[in-house]
Amino acid sequence: MGVKLERIVKPYYDWLHEGKVMARKCTKCGAVEWPPLLGCNTCGSPDMEWIEMSGKGQMVQMVMPSPITRKPEMNDIKPYCFGVIELPEGPAVNAMVRGVDKKNKDLVAAKLPIDVHMVIIPRDGYDTVIFELDEIPKPE
Amino acid sequence: MNPINQTTLHPYNRSVSIIGVGCTPFMYTMDNPETEGFTEGEFFGYAAYKAMEDAGVTPKDVDFYFHGQASPFNGSNYITPNMQVSEWFGMRGKASIHHSEACCTGYLALEQAVNAVASGKYNVVLSGCVEFGDSIVDPNKPAFLRKKFDDQLFQESLKWIYDNCYTREMMCGPNLHQDDGAAWYKAKYGLTDEQMDDTLIHMAINSRRGAALDELALARKTYEEIAKENGFDDVMEYMKSFYNPFLTGNLRASGLELKCDGAAALIVCPTEMASQFTDKKPIEVLGIGNSTREANQPHVEVIATQEATRQVYELTGVKPEEIDILYANDFFITSQLIAGEISGYLPEGEGWKYFIDGRTAYDGDKPINTNGGRCSFGHAHAASGLADIYEAVMQMRGLCGERQVKKLPKTAFIRGFGGAQNVASIIMRTKE
Repeated sequence: MGVKLERIVKPYYDWLHEGKVMARKCTKCGAVEWPPLLGCNTCGSPDMEWIEMSGKGQMVQMVMPSPITRKPEMNDIKPYCFGVIELPEGPAVNAMVRGVDKKNKDLVAAKLPIDVHMVIIPRDGYDTVIFELDEIPKPE
Repeated sequence: MNPINQTTLHPYNRSVSIIGVGCTPFMYTMDNPETEGFTEGEFFGYAAYKAMEDAGVTPKDVDFYFHGQASPFNGSNYITPNMQVSEWFGMRGKASIHHSEACCTGYLALEQAVNAVASGKYNVVLSGCVEFGDSIVDPNKPAFLRKKFDDQLFQESLKWIYDNCYTREMMCGPNLHQDDGAAWYKAKYGLTDEQMDDTLIHMAINSRRGAALDELALARKTYEEIAKENGFDDVMEYMKSFYNPFLTGNLRASGLELKCDGAAALIVCPTEMASQFTDKKPIEVLGIGNSTREANQPHVEVIATQEATRQVYELTGVKPEEIDILYANDFFITSQLIAGEISGYLPEGEGWKYFIDGRTAYDGDKPINTNGGRCSFGHAHAASGLADIYEAVMQMRGLCGERQVKKLPKTAFIRGFGGAQNVASIIMRTKE
C-alpha cells in the first residue's frame, strides 16, 4: 500500500453510470469516506480500498427549497428537500431527498430521523446521487 | 457525524498589536454620480493611507503588505492584485502577497499580518482588502467603466466557492447552508418557526439601529422609519409583511447580506514598538483560531466555529465571560446567534431571547455587530472582515460617538466566516 497516485473521481462516476455507489474504506482504521477521497479524515492514512455502499441512510434534518434555492435545473427532481443524511457505513452528508413536498413536509419532519435510500440520477454528461424517502407519507 | 481534525495553536514568538485602522464607506459606487467610476487602487489606497495615518506610520515604515480580495479575476480581471494595487499608495517595490478566502478574507487578513510580525520577519505590516461586490470591470475597458454585478451574475459566481468533484453535482450543500444554522438551532433547542422568525427579525432591527448611526454604513435608515414610510405604525407588522418576504426557509430579505463596494485596512507591529509610532493604546491580538469545512459536510458553520473557538480559548486562556463585544460575519443573519452562543458570549440555548429583548443592540448589555453587520453595514466581501475589526478597534478606543457601547469594551471576539467555509475566531484586547 502506501501513497499512490490514483484517480478517485473518474472511477466513482464510471461506477455510478453502471449503477454502483462506491466509497473508500481506510485499511488502517476502517473509517469510510463517501463521496470517496484520497486519504482518511479519521486517522489520516493514505491507504484506502474501494467498497460498495449499501445505499441505505437516514435523514436527520431537512430544509425545504425556497425562492433562492429552488433552481430550474433541479425541476426534474421535484418534489424534494435538502437534508442531512447519516449513512450506516459512518459518513454523513448534505444531500437532496426526493419525495418531500409542501403537503407532506410536516409529516416527514415529525418522523425524523426517517429512512431514505440512494438513487442514481442522470445529469448532463454524468450521473449523481440523491436520496429518496423509503416510504412517502401521505396526508389524510 | 464525520470526524473533524483539530489544530493546536502555539504562542506567538512576540506580542503583536493593531495600531492603525482605515475603512471606506461601504456603498453602491455606480448608483451615485459622485462615486461612480471608483477603482480598486483608489479604494484600497484610501483605506491603506487612513490606516497608516491612524497608526502614525508612512509607506516607508511598512515592511510588507497583504492584499485580500474574494474574487479578483471576476471583479477586477486581475490575478495578481497585490502587485497591481501597490503602486497606488506609495509602496512600489515593497514585498507583498495576495490571499483570497471569500467572505472570510478580511478576518484572515489579520491572521496573515499578525503571523508575519510574530515570526520576527517584519516589524510593520499593512493588511488590506478591497471588493467591488456591486460593480465589476469590463475586461476590455479601463477600470472606471464598470457594470453592475447583478444578482444573476452573483448567484452564478457563488458556485466557485463549492467543491466541483461532488458538492456542486449533489446540488445540496450550496442550497442548504443558508438555513442550516437556523434549522440546527431550532432542532437542538426546540424553537418554533415563529420564535426563530421573531429572533431573526429583532436581530435585523437591532443591527440596523447601529448602522443608522454609522456614517460608513450602507443602510442608514432604521426599520422603524422604513415601516412608517410604508404606512406601518408597528415595525414588527412591517417586518412580517410582503415588504420583507422569506427568501429562504428561515431568512427574510432583512436577514440576507447587502453586497456592495468597499475597502478596509489595518497596521500591526510588535506591541513593544507601538509607542514609537502612536500615543493610542495598542489593541493586542491574543490569538486567532482557524478551521475549514466544505459545504457537503453537515453543519459547516456550527462545527467549524466550535473548532476555531476551541483553539483560541485554549491558546489564550480567555474566558467567555471576559468578552465585552462580539462581531460575527452575518451574511446569513443567523450567524449572530450561532457565533454568539458558541463563543459563550450568550448563554447556550437562551441567546435567542437576548435578540428579542434588544440586548444585542449597540446600547444593550451584550452588543453584537455594532456597525450593523452584513445585512445593514453592507458586505464588500473580502473587505467586510477588516471593516468589523475597524469597528471593534474604534469601539475599544471609545470613539464611536452616538453608537458607542455603554461599557468601554476591553476584550473583543470576532468570528470570521466565508467561502463554504473558512472560519476564524479572533480574540483581541486593549493593551494598558
